[in-house]
Amino acid sequence: MSYQPTIVSFLCNWCSYTGADLAGTSRMKYAPNIRIIRVMCSGRVDPTFVLSAFKEGADGVLICGCHPGDCHYHEGNYKCLRRYHLLQKYLDQMGLEKGRLRLEWISASEGKQFAQLADEFTEQIKQLGPCKVKETVENLT
Amino acid sequence: MEDEKRIGVYVCWCGTNIAKMVDVERVAKEIENLPDVVIAKNYKYMCSDPGQELIINDIKEHNLNRVVVSACSPRIHELTFRKALENAGLNPYMFEMANIREHVAWVHEDRGEATKKARALVAAAVNRIKWHESLDKRTVEIDPATLVIGGGIAGLSAALEIADSGKKVFLVEKSGKLGGQVANIDLTFPYMDSARQLINPKIEKVTNHPNIEVYLNCTIDEVFGYVGNFETKFSQNGKEVELKFGSVIVATGLKTFDPSGIEGYGYGKIPSVVTSLEFEEMLKKGEILTREGKEPKNIAIIHCVGSRNVDYHEYCSRTCCMVALKFANQIKSAIPDANVYDLYADMRAFGKGCEEFYTETSRKEVMFLMFDQQEDLPKIRAAAPEDGCGILIEVNEKLSGETIEVPADMVVLMVGVEAQENAKEIAHAVGVSMCGNDFYIERHPKLDPVATTTDGVYVVGGCQSPKDIPDSVSQAKAAASRILATINFGSVEVEVTTAVVNEDLCCGCQTCVSVCPYSAIKYDEEKKVSVVNEILCKGCGTCGSTCPTGAIRSRHFTDKQILSQIEGLLSISNELQEV
Repeated sequence: MSYQPTIVSFLCNWCSYTGADLAGTSRMKYAPNIRIIRVMCSGRVDPTFVLSAFKEGADGVLICGCHPGDCHYHEGNYKCLRRYHLLQKYLDQMGLEKGRLRLEWISASEGKQFAQLADEFTEQIKQLGPCKVKETVENLT
Repeated sequence: MEDEKRIGVYVCWCGTNIAKMVDVERVAKEIENLPDVVIAKNYKYMCSDPGQELIINDIKEHNLNRVVVSACSPRIHELTFRKALENAGLNPYMFEMANIREHVAWVHEDRGEATKKARALVAAAVNRIKWHESLDKRTVEIDPATLVIGGGIAGLSAALEIADSGKKVFLVEKSGKLGGQVANIDLTFPYMDSARQLINPKIEKVTNHPNIEVYLNCTIDEVFGYVGNFETKFSQNGKEVELKFGSVIVATGLKTFDPSGIEGYGYGKIPSVVTSLEFEEMLKKGEILTREGKEPKNIAIIHCVGSRNVDYHEYCSRTCCMVALKFANQIKSAIPDANVYDLYADMRAFGKGCEEFYTETSRKEVMFLMFDQQEDLPKIRAAAPEDGCGILIEVNEKLSGETIEVPADMVVLMVGVEAQENAKEIAHAVGVSMCGNDFYIERHPKLDPVATTTDGVYVVGGCQSPKDIPDSVSQAKAAASRILATINFGSVEVEVTTAVVNEDLCCGCQTCVSVCPYSAIKYDEEKKVSVVNEILCKGCGTCGSTCPTGAIRSRHFTDKQILSQIEGLLSISNELQEV
């Protein structure tokens, strides 16, 4: 079988998690590589969570929040956006491809967009191949 | 000893919904091998009474102190199972759900891959729940006043229901008069009752009600606070108004579609092509006249204008088919020798008395012509002088397969309905979500149709989706009774998943103070630490991910819990032995 990456996805409870639920209730099919973790707000996504996901063996991390202006907590998604850019720089400095981390906005009604995004991001990670972080960490210790 | 973790795991089949795509038995068996898992079972319907009994009995028999249910989305049944835990004497937060229906069974096609993913999600939940803590419930008192936004039939009905039981209502309407869309119409389908007789007594009663304060020409820009204790400020005639209330009913209604954009219909260009709303206006005045002031002899009615077409709105506007039949009846009784042509796509007569209304109307020599709503709309053009009528409509009649030219002196476009222009602003002000068409989303489409995900805020009537009068009134009264029940109880339970500061770790940098969207964190100058006001905190967790020393914990979404979940999702689930 071809290489199947493992992707961890952090979805905010109000928009994106509900959007992913909608993809389900609408029976839209997408790649099984995405594994979802629910947070109340994309603003809760601590950079440590992302780094820890890579450390534990994730090949990609996808963060989804409400569209700009639509955050249930007013501006948590903006905080997430700022951290995302910093985190991208940090990953780059660590020698990790920036493409392994992605932030997208998915509203509660965008089940279809979520399913498409899941497929697209899975494809993106397949192109990048397996992430070596876990292996490297294990060799070090 | 509390430190001993005894976890029970329950994998739900959801009938065939999950079991068809996920090997539930295998998932349960494999998960049972994980440390601290005392018991792992699979069962047909975990949410059913016997399913919940199973959990309750196991908690008692096996002395479980943590429960994982692997089933549908927590948005659907998390509360159900938390209640079950409480019934068994466990703290409701010692519970975690793994969503293997919406996020696995319904979206994947390979049973092997789906089972593997389900196992990972359950392993993650098991790993997370080890770090769950008992949280104590918090109750807040309910301010017995209610804010109703919108003075249409839904808003008026809700306001009266609440005010009649002796509670205060603030009714805010953006226009200069009450009555909403119902005030614009003449008769109602299917019983041909007068809309005036429905709405006017309600307007009068609301206006004079001792418990209702009406604010006309006012809009709500922002609502502060939380369930039981909201407040808002707006200005009326330059005067600042401040209101305090415990619940909110959003009843902002809908507006009609503007057909000018549909090229082939000639609205705004061909005289006597009018919208259903303009035709209602004529009926209210009691005179059906063409633009030239003549009584029309041929009237065509066109359905689904702006509805059920991907170029405009994909949804059905629900009421236009029956309003069209009502028009046919009213024309026939006002101008008995007039020819009425009803151009429809599908006749939707779903409500009480509606199919009978259709049968009755079709006996009245109304000519029904069917057209293709997606591919082949009728074309309306101005007729030549020798045609002897003002307008000609070319329609490819679907049932006969023939192209028919319909002569008309007047065309009524049955315009669909859409969300209000300020739907988004209102949604932001009160904190409700919108679906793709800007209608508001209810908490659960079937089981909780008037509540929203923001506690204390309800959506009723046309702002939630296109609706007729009986449905709008039913929703309004449902929301009113929900609110009265909470007022009657006097207090309401609120989420306790707020942030908390560990003062020993706090370095006083105040980063958390700057990121909190609710100004819920204050800096204590004396102790030199941040302090969270738990009443104001809504538990978004942004402070938790900002704190450089880890002093702030987002309860129920702690770093430890989420990091363990990640670990479970990746390494632990991979180590699991297949059985």
